[in-house]
Amino acid sequence: MDRLLLLLPTTTYRTEDFIDAARTLGVDLVCASEEPSTFEAHAPDHLLTLDFTDPDGAATKVAELSARRPLRAVVGVDDLTTVAAAAIAERLGLRTNAVAAVTAARDKFQMRQCLAAAGVPIPRFRRIALKDDPFLAARGVKFPCVVKPLALSASRGVIRANNVDHFIAAFRRIAALLGRDDVEVRGDAAQFLLAEEYIPGLEVALEGLLVGGTLHTLALFDKPDPLEGPYFEETIYVTPSRLPAAVQQAIERVAASACTALGLVEGPVHAELRFNDAGPWVLEVAARSIGGLCSRTLRFGTGMSLEEIILRHALGWPIETLVRERQPAGVMMIPIPRAGRLQAVRGHDSAASVAGVEDVTLTAHVGQEVVPLPEGWQYLGFIFARADTPEAVEAALRDAHARLKFDIA
Amino acid sequence: MSDDLKTKVQELIDSMINPAVAGHGGFVELVDVQDNRVYLQMGGGCQGCGAADITLKSGIERLIKEELPEVAEVLDTTDHASGSNPYYQAGKA
Repeated sequence: MDRLLLLLPTTTYRTEDFIDAARTLGVDLVCASEEPSTFEAHAPDHLLTLDFTDPDGAATKVAELSARRPLRAVVGVDDLTTVAAAAIAERLGLRTNAVAAVTAARDKFQMRQCLAAAGVPIPRFRRIALKDDPFLAARGVKFPCVVKPLALSASRGVIRANNVDHFIAAFRRIAALLGRDDVEVRGDAAQFLLAEEYIPGLEVALEGLLVGGTLHTLALFDKPDPLEGPYFEETIYVTPSRLPAAVQQAIERVAASACTALGLVEGPVHAELRFNDAGPWVLEVAARSIGGLCSRTLRFGTGMSLEEIILRHALGWPIETLVRERQPAGVMMIPIPRAGRLQAVRGHDSAASVAGVEDVTLTAHVGQEVVPLPEGWQYLGFIFARADTPEAVEAALRDAHARLKFDIA
Repeated sequence: MSDDLKTKVQELIDSMINPAVAGHGGFVELVDVQDNRVYLQMGGGCQGCGAADITLKSGIERLIKEELPEVAEVLDTTDHASGSNPYYQAGKA
């Protein structure tokens, strides 16, 4: 039986879906987290504690395990684990991207340097040291701009600034965010931020799988809510895209060129792009799959999940198809409207009863402190819908969301 | 047969599983055993925990199957959305 190592941070939304996929495939599963499992002593060959911020150390520890019981594949399930997963797989000689490529994709400054050098269309950008005087740093910035941390994901800490005053406020807010206990950034990511040109236009997310350097588009999601700032809250994703076929093809070509520029050749890719009169612009390329529970919108062939495709690819197993089902689908990441403590959630059954809505999953629990963007790091939950058209999917998601009431005090 | 297996599973929960998960403020209750399938419910720090699936599949299920090879599957019936004090909380990276 093939042995598979999953790197599962204790804070990831992705654990259940990846473990379910591993069970479906019938592999011998080894789980690693950054904190010890309560059962690690009972199952030392199947439960590991790894420091994901120390890829070399993690690779050494896993190599010892693999020497006794060889692993066939290593998969990091989200942003926090991509570099460690690549380091481990590289050490074991397994299918992976180069550590340098994944590291570049994880650092927004390094990524932009690679993309700019290859001529991939990206916003003009500058890296700015957090020790610098923000007033002086603002002199070299063209407005409007977007200020963001180098390493966080899901729009956390991403702030639009239209003038110097906005820039200084955003600079200080990001510096404070990076100093929070719940933010784990090291090296350059703890010492710099990025300021880049604001690109107007429609935003899309491309979910893809790289196989031998070729990018296969698994889904292209429209983001129908305008993302114009000051914060960039991810809400609705709907696939297939309603953009013209020629535009979609242009987006796919640019995303593929970005992967090539970064040196990414294997495994999942999640890319964020904008499109305007000048064509597609790459905002982010991550060497991982879509975050949150959003992958549940995707089914392939006769019902295969995205996680199953990712695991099959890593294991070198055949994949029946990479073609998504025909029916339009979508997800709404339920945003946190204001800071406070979640007191109650009302309207769940009504939201779930909306035609086209498949599920309403609440992930925040009553009593939990909730924090909105740009500091926040969680969603209240997820709404999933399928319908005959993308428009109907979007309408169902909006209707269901309108029926949910969150009491936050 | 099922009652006998139920008793053995309960003994495992009492002697090995709950002492382990207690370290994270959690507990596990046996709901039922049917057709060699064990139905469990997780509570305390395990309910809604971001690592609950790891605990269940790579910890609890593995342990139960090692000790009781006749068990075919261990299934989680927990309403994790109602967990009020999960040990780990899922979120963005």
